[in-house]
Amino acid sequence: MSTEALRLAAGAPPRTLAKAPARWTFGTAGGHVVMAVLAIVSMFPVYWMVVTSLRPANDTFDTALWPTAASLDNYAYALNAIPMAQMLANTVLVSGVVTVIQLFTGLLAAYSFARWRSRASKIAYACVALTWLVPFQVVMIPNYLLVAQMGLLDSLAALILPHFASALAVMLLTQSIRAFPLEVIEAAEIDGAGSWRVLWSILAPNLGGTIASLAILIFISTWNEYFWPLLLSRTPENTVVQIGIQMFMTSEGTAWGPLMAASTMASLPILVFYVVLQRQVIQSFMKSGLRG
Amino acid sequence: MTIALSDLTAPRRRGLRFRPAPWLYLLPALATFVVWVYEPLAHAAWLSLFEWNMLPTAPIHWVGAKNYQNILALPKLWQALRNTGLYILGLLPLSVIIPLGIALWTHDLPARARNFYRALIFVPMIIAPVVAGAVWRWLLDPGHGVVNLGLQAAGAPPIGFLSDPNWAIWTIIFITGWKLTGFSTLILSAANANLDPSLIEAARMDGATPWQIVRHVRLPLLSASILFLVMMTILLGAQWSFSYINLLTQGGPLGTTNNIYYLLWDFGFSTLSVGWSSAAAMLLFAGFAILAFVMFRLIDRYSFHEH
Repeated sequence: MSTEALRLAAGAPPRTLAKAPARWTFGTAGGHVVMAVLAIVSMFPVYWMVVTSLRPANDTFDTALWPTAASLDNYAYALNAIPMAQMLANTVLVSGVVTVIQLFTGLLAAYSFARWRSRASKIAYACVALTWLVPFQVVMIPNYLLVAQMGLLDSLAALILPHFASALAVMLLTQSIRAFPLEVIEAAEIDGAGSWRVLWSILAPNLGGTIASLAILIFISTWNEYFWPLLLSRTPENTVVQIGIQMFMTSEGTAWGPLMAASTMASLPILVFYVVLQRQVIQSFMKSGLRG
Repeated sequence: MTIALSDLTAPRRRGLRFRPAPWLYLLPALATFVVWVYEPLAHAAWLSLFEWNMLPTAPIHWVGAKNYQNILALPKLWQALRNTGLYILGLLPLSVIIPLGIALWTHDLPARARNFYRALIFVPMIIAPVVAGAVWRWLLDPGHGVVNLGLQAAGAPPIGFLSDPNWAIWTIIFITGWKLTGFSTLILSAANANLDPSLIEAARMDGATPWQIVRHVRLPLLSASILFLVMMTILLGAQWSFSYINLLTQGGPLGTTNNIYYLLWDFGFSTLSVGWSSAAAMLLFAGFAILAFVMFRLIDRYSFHEH
């Protein structure tokens, strides 16, 4: 105890001090076991999806942990049975467009909220924040009727329109613009820069981190969206890949091999993205809290 | 008196002068929320007073509060509400309690091992709900799924995870939780790692046992993060399970996996009773708003308590 106090007084960082003596105690070994179990429970379903998708058609019910003879038959079947490639392209398009638009409208609104404060803008900000209180299921019928009225049922445009702005983008960007030093903005204004120039040539380039993590978050959550496309989809050519997966699950019986191949194809872009930008993806999700 | 008056009016007059720029910047976002959230909310409230089957040519009848009376008399609604509560209660261990235990237990793992586990346990969070539903349906298949094959190998009878009324809701809760447990663990681990080490060191030097440190130092300091996760689970938990209900059970068997969100969908798009669905939507919205208000008040109080 006294040596510890001495070392503390000498300014040694206490955390390394506390950790150094016990690397492999019972507690740490137990910690490894707990984490390994959680990691296996998290990863096994994903692994099993890929393995099943790679088995030859007549080996679907095989339980070997590794496919004995890998085959791409299930992928060929899935690509032919439904317009899978078209659906994947649609999903890329919808997710990409939604990401760009939400960032754009988010930046505009956030700039306004951070730069000009008035009682009215406070009320407007509350209106943005309170949209979170309206579950999508509550407004689904009016939204559906609106899309029908516009003649956009069964179109990609209808998948994009309600996502023109998100409270999350507006609020996260407002926070980070508010944290930006006001003097820099004022200096630019004295030099004659208008508000539009200030936003795009001074603020936007300096918000790279927030914009990147928002882009990741918006892209992944749009990619994974299910409920709204489910309401709108009529023809396979005009919908996204999540609805395509569902087409392999019928009440008469499920074609497990092609279903797993379609699921793998739908997850692959996101998983590859995650492998490349792992740290950034985790951080952007943690920054925004939980989203379903 | 005159000075005081002019003092009061000067800033107000400046505030009244309308500047278009701030509102032009706000316009795209605000217009989106008005068109796709607030106007539809009012529209749903309006529709809840009518009887209509959504066909453009079908007649629309004014029925007043009758839709509310009718759905409140439905045993199905009360079953769905009870199930919504079950979903939330069942999710809490998976989204808060187990992650909290793991985060506290594993706080002294070496950084490299922690990063490795972190990368793996986060994966379910980015897997699409539809994919998760498909994969779990395959794993839990009564005939050929590995889980039931494993049970059989151990000599146990196969379980109809999705078809047995006693199991189905717990299966859906487990799948919903599967996506959240790793992520909640990351949030709590990060919060735990950011605690001021000098407080823990002080407790250690005072002779506190590891359990006492957890109980009296770490847990109180983590209460804001814990409360945040509890709130998210209560407010959104039942909503997250919607995809799995629709993909795996459609509310069955015998309505045992039906919750209020699925009921809205069922009323609206299966039986096409717009009035009933909208009335249920209004009840849900009211309940949701009250719950959110209470939770925010709680969080406020706790975060004040901390400082």
